[in-house]
Amino acid sequence: MAKKFITTEDVRRAGAGSLVVDSETIVTPQALEYAAQNGVRIVDARGAAWSEPTPDRGPDAQRAMRTLPHLPEPASDADVGSTQMVVVTAVGRNRAGVLAEITAALSSANCSVHDISQKMVQGFFHLVLTVEVPPGTSFAQLKAVVECLGGQDDYVCRVMHERVFRFMHRL
Amino acid sequence: MGFTDQEILETIRMFELETLDIRTTTLGISLLDCADPDIESACEKVYAKIVLHGRNLVAVGESISTDYGIRIVNKRIATTPIAWVAAACGERDLTPFARAMDAAAKVCGVDFIGGYSAYVYKGFTNADRALFDSIPRALAQTNAVCASVALGSTRAGLNMDAIARFSELVLETAALTADRGGLGCAKLVCFCNPVEDNPFVAGAHSGVGEPETVINVGVSGPGVVRSALARLGPQADLLAVAETVKRTAFKITRMGELVGREAARRMGTTFGIVDVSLAPTPAIGDSVSDILELIGVDRTGAPGTTAALALLTDAVKKGGAMASSSVGGLSGAFIPVSEDAGMIEAVRVGALSLAKLEAMTSVCSVGLDMVAVPGDTPVSTLTGIIADELAIGMVNHKTTAVRIIPVPGKGPGDTVEWGGLLGTAIVQDPGRFGCRVLHERGGRVPAPLQSYKN
Repeated sequence: MAKKFITTEDVRRAGAGSLVVDSETIVTPQALEYAAQNGVRIVDARGAAWSEPTPDRGPDAQRAMRTLPHLPEPASDADVGSTQMVVVTAVGRNRAGVLAEITAALSSANCSVHDISQKMVQGFFHLVLTVEVPPGTSFAQLKAVVECLGGQDDYVCRVMHERVFRFMHRL
Repeated sequence: MGFTDQEILETIRMFELETLDIRTTTLGISLLDCADPDIESACEKVYAKIVLHGRNLVAVGESISTDYGIRIVNKRIATTPIAWVAAACGERDLTPFARAMDAAAKVCGVDFIGGYSAYVYKGFTNADRALFDSIPRALAQTNAVCASVALGSTRAGLNMDAIARFSELVLETAALTADRGGLGCAKLVCFCNPVEDNPFVAGAHSGVGEPETVINVGVSGPGVVRSALARLGPQADLLAVAETVKRTAFKITRMGELVGREAARRMGTTFGIVDVSLAPTPAIGDSVSDILELIGVDRTGAPGTTAALALLTDAVKKGGAMASSSVGGLSGAFIPVSEDAGMIEAVRVGALSLAKLEAMTSVCSVGLDMVAVPGDTPVSTLTGIIADELAIGMVNHKTTAVRIIPVPGKGPGDTVEWGGLLGTAIVQDPGRFGCRVLHERGGRVPAPLQSYKN
């Protein structure tokens, strides 16, 4: 059976020339350094230079990868399918054009609004938008674009994934 | 979608105003296959394996934070107790393992790595003894490494020899880190009935029944519970208080469940447990003490505090258990004195004594945590404090722990600033009566009758 690890000591024992290792073998950084200094080539069975293996997370991990997608998800009314849904909230001082600014930013990211609600209390508004993000759109980019809207004395915008709300409020 | 505005705003408020966060995603890694008769080779393997598995942990945590808008404060690593890994090499000085873990933690970008550990319920193997002896130097020479030792269990009783030795180690560790207020002791904890999938440092390690690799999640949120109770007001009865805590804990734990699933999927490994523990930080409002005071005691430590804490811990567990099938770890309420602004204040005004704190630990989820005592506390007194705490765990089938810091050069009432998450402590008075003879007797406290269950 192939060795799981190759250490400096293993390279030293192997002497000069090539040391053939299994593709799963972990060669320690110290062993690699020693090998480089002493002209020892660490190669796989086909003679290619050793490259770091994919981490073997263990037998339970293999089972987990099969079963994790089957864990029950909290119910969703919408047919989410392959699209991502996000919830955009904004709170702040009301003025003309707030909603237009936010929806323009969403539109530039090709997002479509599914649900919208706005309330006013004494000159302050809070706005909740449920938005569909098309496949392939980066959540991080969308978040960056939307969350830089408004300002300290104006309004504050937040973007969160719809799944967060589903986990917290639905079974 | 069907969410009401109220539901959406409640969630936003929890994250924005009430400091709800995922306190830690901790990657457990088995190091059993790193054993080697040659200590240098063993340390090379330890380093290589931790780095191989842990390298993308921080990136995965950050990607989840970005994709879901949830803060994940810490990413950490927990390993197999090093005494088991080191047994094959027969060395007396195991500090090279600590240095290898520290270097690996640095490369992985994690702030703490737990697992410089040993289990000695009933006695020491040679490797356990070597690990014990090297703890003070290991903690003084490294930044990220945390040490934890299991000194007792309900099944085995208390190993008083190990408790006495541990007390010496606490004093040695404090002395070696005297320039930092004995801070090395913040990374050193002992347990009765240790939790082998605990994601929180300093006690994090990946115990004997754990898989090759595993993701465990620690979720906190004292600020959320505090706000919910503040809204409930003082007129509601205790059933309503428990119900409020339970509902809130449910919602908090659901976030842990979400992040745990996602972290496991993205790391390509097993989802272990969600530990729902109200873990305070020195930030204003992020306090378990404030919750106890909202339940109805004038100050934490006043009569009624233990009852209030019992209610809180139980309600957190019940809410958590409904929210996730994977609730585990310590789950309940932490009461680390120096890390909770309300508890520091309670000590300062004389409401919270060491004796009351010990009583509280019989119903909280851990034990005496981040307690400062004078630097000249006799070793026998430390043994007594630790044995008392572990006896509570042993008899009550619960985990208890002690993380105590004898602050060099400080006496009762003095203040010590550790900064950051570790906060500020006021040195507590352990009293002038000791237990020298008990300490010197040594031996074991036999397993209690409660252990005979077969």
